[in-house]
Amino acid sequence: MRHGSMHDPLVRLRDVSKSYGTDARRFVALDAISLDIATGECVAVVGKSGSGKTTLINLLTGIDTPTSGTIDIGAHAIHRLSQEGLAAWRGRNVGIVFQFFQLLPTLTIAENVMLPMDFCEVYPRRERRARALALLERLEIAEQADKIPADLSGGQQQRAAIARALATDPPLIVADEPTGNLDSVTSDVVLSFLAALAQDGKTVITVSHERELDRYFTRTISLRDGVVIEDTGAALTALI
Amino acid sequence: MTTRWVKMLRDAQVARGRLTLVVAALTVSLVAVVTMLSTWTVLRREVPRSYIGSNPASAQLAISGNLTPAVLDSVRRVPNVAAAELASTLSARIDVGNGEWLPLLLFVVPSFDSLRINTLHPDSGTWPAPVGTLAIERSAMELTHSSLGRAVNIELAGVGRCSITIAASVHDPGVAPAWQEQVVYGYVTSATLSALGVTEPLDVLKLVVRDGVTDPAAIERTSRSVAGVLIAAGQRVYQIRIPPPQQHPHQRQMNAIVVMLLAFSMLVLLLGAVLTGGVVSAWLAQQAREIAIMKAIGAVSTQISALYLVLVCALGGVATLLGVPIGLLLGRQFIGLVATLLNLRLESVAVPLWIYLVALALGVGAPVLAAALPIVRASRRTVRAALDDSAGRSAASAVNGLVRTVTRWRLSDPALTLAVRNTFRRRARLAMTAALLAGAGAMFIASLDLRAAWERNVATARQDRFFQLEVRLRGDASQQRVVAAIAAVPGVRTVESWGTQHAARVGSDELEIQQSYPDGGHGSFTFRAAPPQTTLIAHRMAEGRWLTDRDTNAVVINSMARALSFHDLALGDSVALRVNGRPVVVRVVGVMREPLTQATLLVTPALMALATGTPDSTNAVRVQLASGGDVTRATRDLTAALARIDVEVRSVQTEARIASAQGGHVYILVFALGFIALVMAIVGMIGLASSLGVSVFERTREFGVMRAVGCSTRMIVRTVVAEGVLIALVSILAAVVASRVLSLTVGRVLASIAAQELTLTISPSGVAVWATGLLVGTVLVSSIPALRAARLTVRDALSHV
Repeated sequence: MRHGSMHDPLVRLRDVSKSYGTDARRFVALDAISLDIATGECVAVVGKSGSGKTTLINLLTGIDTPTSGTIDIGAHAIHRLSQEGLAAWRGRNVGIVFQFFQLLPTLTIAENVMLPMDFCEVYPRRERRARALALLERLEIAEQADKIPADLSGGQQQRAAIARALATDPPLIVADEPTGNLDSVTSDVVLSFLAALAQDGKTVITVSHERELDRYFTRTISLRDGVVIEDTGAALTALI
Repeated sequence: MTTRWVKMLRDAQVARGRLTLVVAALTVSLVAVVTMLSTWTVLRREVPRSYIGSNPASAQLAISGNLTPAVLDSVRRVPNVAAAELASTLSARIDVGNGEWLPLLLFVVPSFDSLRINTLHPDSGTWPAPVGTLAIERSAMELTHSSLGRAVNIELAGVGRCSITIAASVHDPGVAPAWQEQVVYGYVTSATLSALGVTEPLDVLKLVVRDGVTDPAAIERTSRSVAGVLIAAGQRVYQIRIPPPQQHPHQRQMNAIVVMLLAFSMLVLLLGAVLTGGVVSAWLAQQAREIAIMKAIGAVSTQISALYLVLVCALGGVATLLGVPIGLLLGRQFIGLVATLLNLRLESVAVPLWIYLVALALGVGAPVLAAALPIVRASRRTVRAALDDSAGRSAASAVNGLVRTVTRWRLSDPALTLAVRNTFRRRARLAMTAALLAGAGAMFIASLDLRAAWERNVATARQDRFFQLEVRLRGDASQQRVVAAIAAVPGVRTVESWGTQHAARVGSDELEIQQSYPDGGHGSFTFRAAPPQTTLIAHRMAEGRWLTDRDTNAVVINSMARALSFHDLALGDSVALRVNGRPVVVRVVGVMREPLTQATLLVTPALMALATGTPDSTNAVRVQLASGGDVTRATRDLTAALARIDVEVRSVQTEARIASAQGGHVYILVFALGFIALVMAIVGMIGLASSLGVSVFERTREFGVMRAVGCSTRMIVRTVVAEGVLIALVSILAAVVASRVLSLTVGRVLASIAAQELTLTISPSGVAVWATGLLVGTVLVSSIPALRAARLTVRDALSHV
């Protein structure tokens, strides 16, 4: 599934702010951020703990809503969607990869991959397992398809989580510190795969605190105290 | 099956322990509901079929007798008379062996073949019983210690002792079980009675009205018209007896029991449903992260809700499948017991289809309703909130003011300190568990309170009687001679004359109208002469005062008389009565507490003499024996002593028989309340096991942390057990308070329906049994999972989700 040309902005944030707490004790997690991320970009969002990385990811995936500003992803103004609307939108438009894999423990690896297809009712029921196995094959863990997550190593679980994120063929893949729990060798495999996805036309946004992994990304956005302090793709953004 | 349902099935399998408890609780609840619902339904159908099927008399007119066929025909032509038949009732005695004689109430009919009112169902033997033989009510066969085809000795007025063969046993739906009343019911024809030498005429006219069979006013109007015809034909009409229309003598008692049991069983179901809601709620809290993940990958709230609601439906469905057959089976047993207690003949115990539908609706609907709110709430939570909660981030925010207060308490035992803080940390869980246990405890204690109140009534009734024998004479005899003769019998300590007469309130036309049944016992009231200085009863007054020698027209009514026939009167009011056919006006001076005793009006011997016109005579005495006195021997000796002065004994009722009859009337209540208490105990313990099991399971990770910082297994187990005991103690306190409200409310309703006074006090044994059971159960239920959790390696415990 293709969603526009390589340089079309898939993600568009305008003056997005997110704050928590009451007026008396307000904490600003993101402060008037504006960003454009084009289709096919592989973006690393980096920054120290508390810089606003996770908040940004949560806003992009509709897990959280902005205090102000607008977020447009593809044709959807997600800041206007209800929780139910967000859930339905997310299933078909965003694949999320969590730091701790978050595979459902009572389902096999193949079933975990099939679950988003079931909820979103995409792909005919009879084709879902074949698609799940194909995705697992692509991630080189097809032989683990019928095992439960607890029987797999961390790297294998993260690859299964990526397969699940791809299940409904969403244009946007968002990964929250996907290598945070992995050794360096496995981290390389996972990041290489995410980069390959971007080359295939997916837009990949990854939160990372490891700057030395820059080689996998086409663009790096650095955050500090809720503001963008550096954006290697700013020129591109300006161009767009 | 789609993947999401595969997930739900596997999750259910993982949580099978707690889900099994839910199914068990729902099953027990449904068993109680179906048992009571099927009992209620079948009895509502079978009681009329059995009782009304016998075509009970709408009214009975006590007449002078010797009614000619022509007059009987003219009675049958009175408008609204559907049927009219002659009959009579004789009081006799029957020898039941070992020198013991029991009252024999003989129902006399012209012919068994032509019997159309108060018909009898042949049970066994030769039916119709041939002339010269006797039929016995089936429930009385055991009392006679005899059998079909055997001759028994009976004693009839004017004839004395004679022998008669029992040819048949019959079922008379209109009488209470003989063993309950301690009276043998016999049935003979006029020809048999004549053959035995009794020449008394048939002096009761039984009527069945055509329209308004359920309307006492219509029955009374028709009866008065019939009375007019009879009086015009030269008959005397002494009394009109109108029993509660179409109502079995023990209908009130049955209604009280079944309604109470239905109400309790509904409360059990409510408890089961709350338990389901609680367990599902805890399970959802544990699954918060998984729900968040599902929503993150595209699940919408309705999809999540559907998963859990269908699971709860399935649990309810399984419980219904298990509970309905067991409930129906128990229902049949219970119906059989009630049938025995009410002397009913059941044509069928089949339940209608709607019972199954209602059971399914309740079995599935109740848990779904209870679980719906937590399910909808959990499935509507935002992904972020659910993830934060599962990551424990909200734990800090959940620390509320109460917890802050609790953390200031410094307890010497660290386990206790942790237990107190943990208990108050999850307030909703604490409230749910404590409320569940308190609810079960309240119902357990309340049912035992009520049971104890009924048993206390039996005991009080017994304690208030200081006599061992009540001797009824055939006809009046000189009081002085009777008392002297009995006083001279060895072993007799005290004798008092307690003359008894039949009485009725009279209307403006002076016709007596009484709401009594054909057995003369149920619904009627008696007029008794009570010595003001009596030492044979403890006259405990509810209102007013006891009798004095100076009283001329004073009457003390007992509690049953007050409830049934004199509820419109206050102390000082006068009431017109007809006693032994003579009018008398009495003034109410007191109301006496006399539990489980027939409605009675107590007057001085002087007033009795005035009312009956027979001074210094008596027809009943009460006898107190010296301690260790032999009742059987005394009965034989005093019967002989009275015979020597030509006084015939009609019946001798022993104190044990009176107590047995009173106990028989409340047995079903005592049984039913015991059943309820048992159900409550089971549901309560399941609730406890479920709540504490879930609580411990949820905290496995926390135990890992505790172990990691050096906490011993023993300390963990002590903490968990202390926490459980704390919740149990809170629930016990709440249960005691709630049980008081519950038992007072239910007790008031029961007392009103049964026309009995119930003194409800908290049953210490009920509280003790519940508290002990709960505390022992708490220690067991919390220590087993705590031990299991504490034995996990720190790594395993920390990886627990």
